[in-house]
Amino acid sequence: MVIEKFLDNSLSSWMAGRGEHSDIVMSTRIRLARNLTGYRFPLAFTEDEAHRIDQSISATLLDASEELQMNISSVQIKDLSELNRQVLVEKHLISPKLANSRIEGSVLLSEDESVSVMINEEDHIRMQCLFPGLQIEEAYALADKIDRILEKELSYAFDEQFGYLTSCPTNTGTGLRASVMMHLPALTMSKQMNRIVTIISRLGMVVRGIYGEGSEALGNVYQVSNQTTLGKTEEDILADLQSITEQIIQKEKEARSALLKHSANTLEDRLYRSLGTLSYARIMTTEEAGKCLSDVRLGIDMGLIQDVDVTILNECMVFMQPGFLQKFAGATLNTSERDMFRAKLIRERLQKMGEKRITKGEELA
Amino acid sequence: MHNGDHFERNYCEVCANSLHPFYEEYKQDPLSLHQLLSNWFNHSEQQPVQQRMDTAEVVCEECGWTFQRFLNEGKFGCGSCYNSFRVQLPSVFKRLHNGNTTHVGKAPGAFGEILELKKRIEATRVQMKEAVQAENFEEAAKLRDEARKLESKLATGGDETHGD
Repeated sequence: MVIEKFLDNSLSSWMAGRGEHSDIVMSTRIRLARNLTGYRFPLAFTEDEAHRIDQSISATLLDASEELQMNISSVQIKDLSELNRQVLVEKHLISPKLANSRIEGSVLLSEDESVSVMINEEDHIRMQCLFPGLQIEEAYALADKIDRILEKELSYAFDEQFGYLTSCPTNTGTGLRASVMMHLPALTMSKQMNRIVTIISRLGMVVRGIYGEGSEALGNVYQVSNQTTLGKTEEDILADLQSITEQIIQKEKEARSALLKHSANTLEDRLYRSLGTLSYARIMTTEEAGKCLSDVRLGIDMGLIQDVDVTILNECMVFMQPGFLQKFAGATLNTSERDMFRAKLIRERLQKMGEKRITKGEELA
Repeated sequence: MHNGDHFERNYCEVCANSLHPFYEEYKQDPLSLHQLLSNWFNHSEQQPVQQRMDTAEVVCEECGWTFQRFLNEGKFGCGSCYNSFRVQLPSVFKRLHNGNTTHVGKAPGAFGEILELKKRIEATRVQMKEAVQAENFEEAAKLRDEARKLESKLATGGDETHGD
């Protein structure tokens, strides 16, 4: 089954690319919400409507594969086991809402997983484009291209006054949510994040942790996105996000330099301790793993730690989540078993890189 | 104190935060959209109760949802709800979208052409007024004809018909 490919690898192939500012911006995501005329929204529609919508949108998108030069696979959510749904959620390819939905829905995925189109989530269509690093314009260009292909074949619910009509009034207008995923360890360590969150929220943008539950941003990974979708053009929304992101990048860089300047030894010690913990610990909670992975990634980006893959944070943050762990283990694991298995997987991942390092050293010798 | 033994625990700021007693309560969606919508609409509007109740009863013929149901769910039932609640919605959008109530972005193909035409007509009229004020009547007449041409195009649904 084609879906296996999406389930077996924790690292989506689009993540291997390096976009701009990828030492701080991990990825850029563009999401468009669209609905069709003549059908009620998913909260109110019948099974028959759900089925017809799913059929029609899936067929249109599959037909467009050639024009998009993409290999697109379609997956019915109801055909997936609960665990496999969770794995797709952990890779951010589908939302928890679609995974838990009882109505007919599907997801269409491009081979490199950079494009995902959810059908019958909160809206009839939710398309997302994921790019590595800071590539807001590029990601939007692709989403816009798919949107224009779909609008030729399908009749979108649109109103001159309110724009694209969506199930939730917070998406009405452009239906556009643009977001960047940022790794901000130095701003977090120097306790500047609260202040930044407050300022950004005044500018019509939202900052939140992307992994884990609760208030702490696991792995110091934050998501910045636009809140306003009505009364602003797509271009303005994107330009504002770009400008705010660049300012946060600047602040994070300043905070990193300050750390290096004022407490280089303490910092280096902390980062190497984290590398040590990841390499040798036998029990590892999500919180500890998140903290250590963030430290190691910071060490790599600051040139303090060499010979560890820069993808370590992206990749381990995905596979250390409960769904992936159980997928790899091939069994249901309770919390403490998961903590042990998580430690084992991360250890092995680092060892593999260590072996590569040794062979490289031998070649040189 | 526990069984007469005295425990003293010193937590760092971070750990103390994670042990915050209200943490669990906050996990349950501190401010949901439908709560916000209902509160705004039922308390802050400066209109008599009877009028408010009439508004709440406005119903969408397509899906049968009332405006009150929209407020309760925080979601629309279908695209026609927007039309049915057109009068009430601007006050909702104002609060959700930083004071904005009207879409200014992209539109799907056919809509896009019509919107584009309307914008061009508006711009031509503004230019015409400016020409009149500058007493440049020849130019103003030209612009008036141009605006008429665009209007007739709009009447035919934005089709690129020639020879009018």
